[in-house]
Amino acid sequence: MNVTQLADQLRQDPRFMENVTRWEVIPPRPARTADFPESLDARLRAVLAKRGIHALYTHQAQSISATARGEDVTVVTPTASGKTMCYNLPVLSAILENPDARALYLFPTKALSADQVSELYEMIEQMGVDIKTYTYDGDTPAAARKAVRQAGHIVVTNPDMLHSGILPHHTKWVKLFENLQYIVIDEIHTYRGVFGSNLANVLRRLMRLCDFYGSHPRFILCSATIANPRELAETLIGRPVTLIDDNGAPMGERHFVFYNPPVVNRQLGIRKGAIPVTRAISGMLLKNGIQAITFARSRLTVEVLTRYLKDMVRDPLGNAGRVRGYRGGYLPTERREIERGLRAGQVDAVVSTNALELGIDIGALDACVLCGYPGTIASAWQQAGRAGRRQSASIVFFIASSAAIDQYIVTHPDYFLRQSPENALLNPDNLYILMSHFKCAAFELPFEDGDGFGNAPGTEELLEYLDEENILHHVDGRYHWSSEDFPASEISLRSAAEENFVIIDITDPARHRVVGEMDRFTAPMLLHENAIYMHEGRQFQVEKLDFDACKAFIRAVDTGYYTDADLNINLSLLDLEKEERTERGYRTALGEIKVTALVTMFKKIRFDTHETLGFGHVRLPETDMHTTAMWWTLPPDLVEKIPSDTLKNGMMGIANLLRIVCPLYLMCSPQDIAVVYQVKSPITGEPTLILYDNCPGGVGLSQKAYGMRDMLLEKALQVVNDCGCAYGCPSCVGPAGEVGQDGKPTAIRILKELIM
Amino acid sequence: MNLRDKLRAVGGSGGNQSRPRTPETEKRDCQHLAVYRPLSEFPGALEVRRETVARMSRTPLPEAFDPRRILYLDTETTGLGGSGTVAFLVGLGYLTDAGFEVHQFLMRDYDEESALLRNVEAGLNRFDMVCTFNGATFDLPLLESRFLMNRFQRDCLRKPHLDLLQVARRLWRNRLGKCSLGRLEALILGQPREDDLPGSEVPQRYFDYLKTGNAYLLEDILRHNAQDIASLCVLLTHMADMYDHPEQIPYSEDVYAMGRALERMNHPEEARKCYRLARRGRMGTEAGQALAHSYRRAGEREAAARVWREMIAERRGGAGPYIELAKYLEHGRRDYAGALEMTERAIALLSEARLRQDAAVQETENALQYRRRRLKKRLASTRKKKEQKTDGTGNDVQGQ
Repeated sequence: MNVTQLADQLRQDPRFMENVTRWEVIPPRPARTADFPESLDARLRAVLAKRGIHALYTHQAQSISATARGEDVTVVTPTASGKTMCYNLPVLSAILENPDARALYLFPTKALSADQVSELYEMIEQMGVDIKTYTYDGDTPAAARKAVRQAGHIVVTNPDMLHSGILPHHTKWVKLFENLQYIVIDEIHTYRGVFGSNLANVLRRLMRLCDFYGSHPRFILCSATIANPRELAETLIGRPVTLIDDNGAPMGERHFVFYNPPVVNRQLGIRKGAIPVTRAISGMLLKNGIQAITFARSRLTVEVLTRYLKDMVRDPLGNAGRVRGYRGGYLPTERREIERGLRAGQVDAVVSTNALELGIDIGALDACVLCGYPGTIASAWQQAGRAGRRQSASIVFFIASSAAIDQYIVTHPDYFLRQSPENALLNPDNLYILMSHFKCAAFELPFEDGDGFGNAPGTEELLEYLDEENILHHVDGRYHWSSEDFPASEISLRSAAEENFVIIDITDPARHRVVGEMDRFTAPMLLHENAIYMHEGRQFQVEKLDFDACKAFIRAVDTGYYTDADLNINLSLLDLEKEERTERGYRTALGEIKVTALVTMFKKIRFDTHETLGFGHVRLPETDMHTTAMWWTLPPDLVEKIPSDTLKNGMMGIANLLRIVCPLYLMCSPQDIAVVYQVKSPITGEPTLILYDNCPGGVGLSQKAYGMRDMLLEKALQVVNDCGCAYGCPSCVGPAGEVGQDGKPTAIRILKELIM
Repeated sequence: MNLRDKLRAVGGSGGNQSRPRTPETEKRDCQHLAVYRPLSEFPGALEVRRETVARMSRTPLPEAFDPRRILYLDTETTGLGGSGTVAFLVGLGYLTDAGFEVHQFLMRDYDEESALLRNVEAGLNRFDMVCTFNGATFDLPLLESRFLMNRFQRDCLRKPHLDLLQVARRLWRNRLGKCSLGRLEALILGQPREDDLPGSEVPQRYFDYLKTGNAYLLEDILRHNAQDIASLCVLLTHMADMYDHPEQIPYSEDVYAMGRALERMNHPEEARKCYRLARRGRMGTEAGQALAHSYRRAGEREAAARVWREMIAERRGGAGPYIELAKYLEHGRRDYAGALEMTERAIALLSEARLRQDAAVQETENALQYRRRRLKKRLASTRKKKEQKTDGTGNDVQGQ
């Protein structure tokens, strides 16, 4: 059965359609093309012609022309629109023209670099020219590195390697730095938050070195669809860009189905879970031979769904292998094998976390199932874009979970279909991040009096501070690095935590093997002792977590349950930046706080029924984070009038409302911020609602929220007023079971007081 | 909180007292120190010959080689590498007819780096070749980086370079393990250093000096550096002596290692000389094997076979020499009967060792059994041919 037939069949099925809140058909779009730009080398045209390409899509032609005019370019295109041509063609053209020219390609992950290099190789081989393209990353053998440094025309790497392997050793890369003509950065939408703030600083360092070596490279940046590609690009590279976002690539017809699982308990407003529904729909696609990708929001869900689907087709012929799980933590070789299987059509169904959201080449699939809203419009479109052939029809199912934001989306599909996607925010001037890179920059090349660092503020003060700390040494108008340390080794670009945990399977005592890895923040949640860890649908129990050595030892088990850990958060004030006392006598403030996270216990949850079977304790050290926060206290006279339990319920309700509203208006993903309430807050000594940036140092979301603090409360009030439920539901203040019967009216009452 | 306080909070430090500032002066030269040592401390150093050094490494040597035109170089640095690491002290040493001179160039602050590098450049330009200890991977790339960052020409660094660490590793890695200069002084030159400053403490000493201006902090470093440079010359002389007189080397391990080194540097005849010397020592078996292999590579198969026979006579090398001889007899001499005999003796030897259940032994034995079957077949068919030749003429006639 093909997608069109399946869509017809489903639309005839009243039992299916009764839960569909919207069936949107996006009509097919024809290709729009333009002639090869003048600037394109004749040899490249010949190769393209050989491949049957006689014209370019409009966005490709535009970006090549803009690049040729010497502009920095940002190309915004959806998945599979031929964006690699937007940079490969100008770069190859430049090297054909001048064999000394060099280009640097940055991809967020190693996997992506591997993909892109193989595509470049093909074109270069077809032209029969001597253009050397090398990948330079942690896997590059030491013996090959010298050749890469000396002879690589195109050096493909990732921000981490640029940061710690190339920039601090720039004198070994003279050829590259002296002749650097293009810097290509793909998937820039992934560089938001801490990662983006770090990359912006790595680029400041890179440009500083280019200045030293006398080169003036131009940028070609590519992004998936986000609300603010220009702002993101300009913040990353610190200078204006030409935006190209007129996609000329063709697309087949696409069906977008919004599916809200049926209500199973009307009193409590409980719906059927998204996982069983996803299992049914993905299963139906699998049975009908429609190649599909299912996105789940957690690693755990990925494993649960993979197991369900594998069981569905399991037979002695090994057909279970047609279903694969895919997520961070699988080893690279395993991932490459799955990617190949998808491209070759040997894998019919893959269940993935957002790990496959990036531009890893798995070809275009027929169908995509989103089990739950991925959190942002941008990611939802990225994931949906995995289904979508250029010629034939494709279908995307969005299965809403009971989470408030999911319910909002499934009942307001227009918000999703019409609203622009989120902003990618980053803050290169985050003091933690800035200072770390500032040190690296000083290591790489002494600062001179009056030198800036990109457009970073406070350079002079930073220099003086580091001088006082004896990290730099000021003499004769220059600040020299004056420490034994190698500053680049002290920063990890992706998070504040540097080391990953290694997961070791000890089921076979004779053969311990590493099956995966996990970052330091997630490890306490998923790898605490006695946790059930799932890998490719198999269950393991964590036998020992060696926190200092960053190792988790697991053993295969077969239990009917999985585990879910509880995270405890404590806050304390570091610095008050701004405070305002309102006429109503409550305070709003912006400042820096310390967030301490601790996992203390976990629940055992039965498969299928999802009932809680029991609890267990976790003994692990806590993790600290300094970040930016904003908060509201409540009017004291109001607090006096409300009994404390009721007050708590009301505040819980408001926190829940803010969790729904803030990401929408701050245009960020829900994971980027945290909203908590404290009846007696150690920060203010009063009942307080607190919103903070969920990453060390913050990326500016709290500041933004502080700027729109009244509006956020108004929107929260509007959501709860508009909600038809009686005593609260997940789409407003949270279910009555959590906030009590008085939660909803109290939340409304407090909000009204705050807004007045 | 102002930015300064925040920086403190982020940096996690309570601030620091600032050091006394160096008075602003005009650009000055860096500090220059010299140490002179009498020639008597360097016996034989002036007699080191070009052809000896040529056997130690592949470095192209200057035509007019002169031990007085070698510049010994050693740096003291602020770290382990990367463009933020600076050579704050560079010592240059050379032999004269009167003795050994060490000239040390020290930057008393970062603004003297350029002057320091000028002195190093001038020094390098006055000599034909450089000799270092680990200079290939450390000192020279570091200087290259410093020259580049100070926008100097780097031609002076492109000259013949002898890295004694590489030579030392080839000679002593197997016997001594780690080949630091300190260990070599103690174990090879018999001059252990006392009160020497551990290299790892050097950067912090220098930073402390920068902070306080207390020059006494550098005393140990200067002494350490001068001693390193003098040791380079002594070490090279010692090595040259070994290469010239392998028969006087007390450790047969070293003689054997030198043979391997010579072979790698493409001096097979010299190498064989070492192997022959090492035959009677503790590495006798290895030396014998290496000698035979060396002959074979040179195409001297009879000479190789002679060595294998000697080894059998000496009961060295287990089944190995029998196997090698079997190969030689079968393929080189077509002496299948001889080859079969060697093969069977090898099998007999192995069966004694078989109790160990070693997989490698098993594999060797399988290969031998295979060889044995093949040899038997060959023997049988040669016999047949011979028979045909002797009394088979009639058959031939019949066949016609």
